Amino acid sequence: MRKAFVITLCILSLAGLILLGLYGTRFALYLATRIMILSIFAMGYNILFGKTGLLSFGHGAFYAVGAYGMALFSLHINPHPLACIVAGLCLAFIFSLIIGFFCVRHTEIYFAMLTLAFGMMVFSLIWNLRDITGGDDGLVGISRAPIELGLFSIPIAKANQFYFLVVFFFVLSIAVIYVINNSPFGLVLSGIRENDRRIEFAGLPLRKFRLAAFVISGVFAGLAGSLSALLESNTDPFSAHWSHSAEPILVSLIGGIQTFTGPLIGSVIFVWLREIIERFTQNWMLWFGLILLLIIMGFRGGVVGVLSRIHRIILGSDTQSQRIA
Amino acid sequence: MLTSVVHVCLAGLSTGMFIWLVASGLTLIFGVLGVLNFAHGSFYMLGAYFCYTLLRVMGNNFWLGLLLGPLCVCVVGYLIERYFLRYVYHLALPYQLLLTFAFVLIFDDLVKIVWGPGSIGSPSVAGLAGSVPILGRNFPVYNIFIMVVGPLVALGMWAMLERTWWGRIIRASSSDREMASAIGVKVPALFTAVFVFGTWLGAVGGGLAAPYVGLLTPGMGESIIIDAFVVVVIGGLGSLKGAFLGALIIGLLSSFGTRYIPTFDMFLTFILMAAVLLWKPEGFFGEAK
Amino acid sequence: MEEKGFTRRDFMKAGLLTAAASALGPGVLRPTGLWAGTSKIKGPIKVGYQAIMSGALAGYGEFHKMGVIMAAEEINASGGIAGAKLEVQFRDSTLKKPQAIKNARYFVDSWGADFLAGVDSSGQALALAPVIAELDKVIIITHAATEKLTEQQVYKKGIRQIFRISSPTYQDGNAAAFVAKDLPAKSWATISPKYEYGYTCWRMFKNTLSILKPGASFIAESWAPFGTTDFRPHINTILDAKPDGLYSTEWAGELITFVKQAKQAGLFDKIKHVMFPVGAAMDVLEGLGKEMPDNIWISGRYFFLYPDNNQNREWVARFKKRWNHYPAYVSETGYSAMFAIKKAVEEAGSKETRKVINAMEGMMLDSPAGYRIFRKEDHQAIYDVPWGLTKTDPRYPFKIMGKQILVPAKDCFNRPPFEGPGTKPPF
Repeated sequence: MRKAFVITLCILSLAGLILLGLYGTRFALYLATRIMILSIFAMGYNILFGKTGLLSFGHGAFYAVGAYGMALFSLHINPHPLACIVAGLCLAFIFSLIIGFFCVRHTEIYFAMLTLAFGMMVFSLIWNLRDITGGDDGLVGISRAPIELGLFSIPIAKANQFYFLVVFFFVLSIAVIYVINNSPFGLVLSGIRENDRRIEFAGLPLRKFRLAAFVISGVFAGLAGSLSALLESNTDPFSAHWSHSAEPILVSLIGGIQTFTGPLIGSVIFVWLREIIERFTQNWMLWFGLILLLIIMGFRGGVVGVLSRIHRIILGSDTQSQRIA
Repeated sequence: MLTSVVHVCLAGLSTGMFIWLVASGLTLIFGVLGVLNFAHGSFYMLGAYFCYTLLRVMGNNFWLGLLLGPLCVCVVGYLIERYFLRYVYHLALPYQLLLTFAFVLIFDDLVKIVWGPGSIGSPSVAGLAGSVPILGRNFPVYNIFIMVVGPLVALGMWAMLERTWWGRIIRASSSDREMASAIGVKVPALFTAVFVFGTWLGAVGGGLAAPYVGLLTPGMGESIIIDAFVVVVIGGLGSLKGAFLGALIIGLLSSFGTRYIPTFDMFLTFILMAAVLLWKPEGFFGEAK
Repeated sequence: MEEKGFTRRDFMKAGLLTAAASALGPGVLRPTGLWAGTSKIKGPIKVGYQAIMSGALAGYGEFHKMGVIMAAEEINASGGIAGAKLEVQFRDSTLKKPQAIKNARYFVDSWGADFLAGVDSSGQALALAPVIAELDKVIIITHAATEKLTEQQVYKKGIRQIFRISSPTYQDGNAAAFVAKDLPAKSWATISPKYEYGYTCWRMFKNTLSILKPGASFIAESWAPFGTTDFRPHINTILDAKPDGLYSTEWAGELITFVKQAKQAGLFDKIKHVMFPVGAAMDVLEGLGKEMPDNIWISGRYFFLYPDNNQNREWVARFKKRWNHYPAYVSETGYSAMFAIKKAVEEAGSKETRKVINAMEGMMLDSPAGYRIFRKEDHQAIYDVPWGLTKTDPRYPFKIMGKQILVPAKDCFNRPPFEGPGTKPPF
């Protein structure tokens, strides 16, 4: 009964996304595309943050590496979008593997500071390797070439066409992350957050699991980055800056840290809220800061936490939602 | 050649002492409270603005401004610790960081609203305005003043922590909160006091920085906070001695790097930061916690 | 499983709300009444203006707004644009590219802007180019200086919707070289921003000066990262090199910091010829006050004492009365951008993009900064801004331009097709 309910909702959500793609205005599509890209970034990030409890300030770097890898491949080798995205993912994989190898030696604040240092190194490289990266101007003129698939090709140049490409990757990411979370590997990761000693006693290579989570989240960041390069048709060096790395943390926090849907809902609210704030004031930082304060002081479970609390009150006790709240 | 090296050295030392003034409060708060305070940059900014306003009100008396300005910021620090931060000590690291981050956003915009969005030129300090020639090249008196104040602050903090009853209590509470409260220390009040003192240090840093940088801008705390973070980290999080040495190293590295390596960049300081974290995370003096 | 389904539904709701809000936006904000019916052109003329309004450079946004608001007040007080009311909405550009793109899309697709204007950062302007082509609305850039925008995006790629009313890097690099050739300085050095703007200007300055004065040498460069608060290491580099002249494209707060620290180090006593291409900005002159040394070469995108004619004097007086401030160059470019829109729409008799572009190409605009002509090929406004030596004047609490040299824009701006002989000065 419940399973059927969930499946129905999933199908309805997908139908809603498709309807939005067919009938939404151009600005609604643009915002929705940005929300999905941010969701991919945040949900991937949450594999590391929500599951293992490691707080990274360097994932903006993998986002940027994905974007620049994608853009360089597109500008110099082949503009085929899928090939470019794969190139971005590969580069993000390599970078997150190397950086992760060093970072997972620590936890807590030391881990956070290590990722900050490596992330800022990548930022600095992008800023200074001007011949390759275009410096602060970034790489411009990334085209959205049609996706050639042998017999036929799919155009993605228009906003609504590109929207569906992002929907495809968005749904794919949700599915992959869902599978990861419910695999034995995902369960081990949850175990790391709750008690890493126990994992070690069980004879599991703790660092390797952490590294795997780091790399997976890094690759998702790269996917988000390469999609964003296609969306905006340029790359931004500031996407590697630590302040951008803080975005998925904010998003997870708004939505609810240790939940599957938290980052997703957080992304919707993050983009939507900021858009609303910017409509009535140029002092958006002040209002955003106040809302953040409110969430941390009053609604620590995030929106999902609050909702499941309400849900529990309505439906009576429910062991699963108690675990999340 | 000698002139060059000496002046590069002096520039590095004054830069280092300048960063130290900001990093001292940051590392103290981390060492005792275990909170890495993003909003420390905001205290620095507020310190600069309050000092400036009071200086204007009091007939351009820099010293009076420097005395009273940071006290105003202390009130802000007190309110933040007492009504916000206190409730997140027991929570995971991200909550603490994001709480202080929220204050960064709020104060950046508040300063813009209260003092205006434009930058404000800071007047130079009477008596410390000129320069003295050292080996045929002028060096500002104010920088020499900063190079004296820095070690004095370090010495004062060291004396307070190592030589007074208060210092012993603080050290005891930072190493074991439960034990300290068991023997009758009011830990929450102590934490508030330390946070307010750290705030004061940051605000004094800001007040002293205004004539050094020559300018007040909204968001001025953001450029210094990362430097201060680097210094606090390479000194070993929470170690005062380490942070002092770290500030000197970063100051000299950036000065010599800028002068002698044309491609020098913050890249090198972050490599240094990562290297320290990897091989000696407890910092130079090994005060492992 | 339960709570997941629940939240998924909420996600959908939030998504639909977003869509609804953005769809409703233009409808809710559409003005009715007085202006809607009486104009020859349907509806108000809406301009979406973005500039930096947060962080260290927030003062620039404020100066933009002053000029634009004043223009809108004056235009609307005298009958609007062809009878239609001018409406302006502002947004913070934050200097980040995705934000600039979002702002532009919001203005056009949600608010219903007919024109876009503003933009401070070169990177943002370049990132906006393809978006402007897609949105198909005219944008008037009022600050971003990169020559790549007009040379590559407009001229080469044919994105005709982009116009620039402020002077580009030619004024900072090429014009400076024309001034420098007559100075008794042979060796030059620079302390400039460590990003494209700084690199480009220095390269232009070197290239042009090398042609104008074959003996000139360029002996030291020190690049200061964005947000530098301590220029002393850079100053040491320059003093060690002992150049005759210093050229620096530092700007805004960083230029103020640099000048103060350079003064303390005695740099202005040792180097007699110093050039600040954006030193004539009001925030810099006012921020430094009497601390700006005399006899420094400064320029900008507009200086309120030039041209010395009635029109400009009256404008400055009106501005001073309205805001109790002297106009900064972005105030002038923002103000004139509104009048450029007015003139173009009235000439075209329509706010339709194609017609407005056709009217604007080659259009001459009478503005406080003097006559501007939007060059047909690259849509760059051609107008003259002087270089001048700073001097003390008892009438002002800051330094002004004393002796002035005018390098006419037609002599120092690169010319289309921008590649090959005869496209770069001297001509």
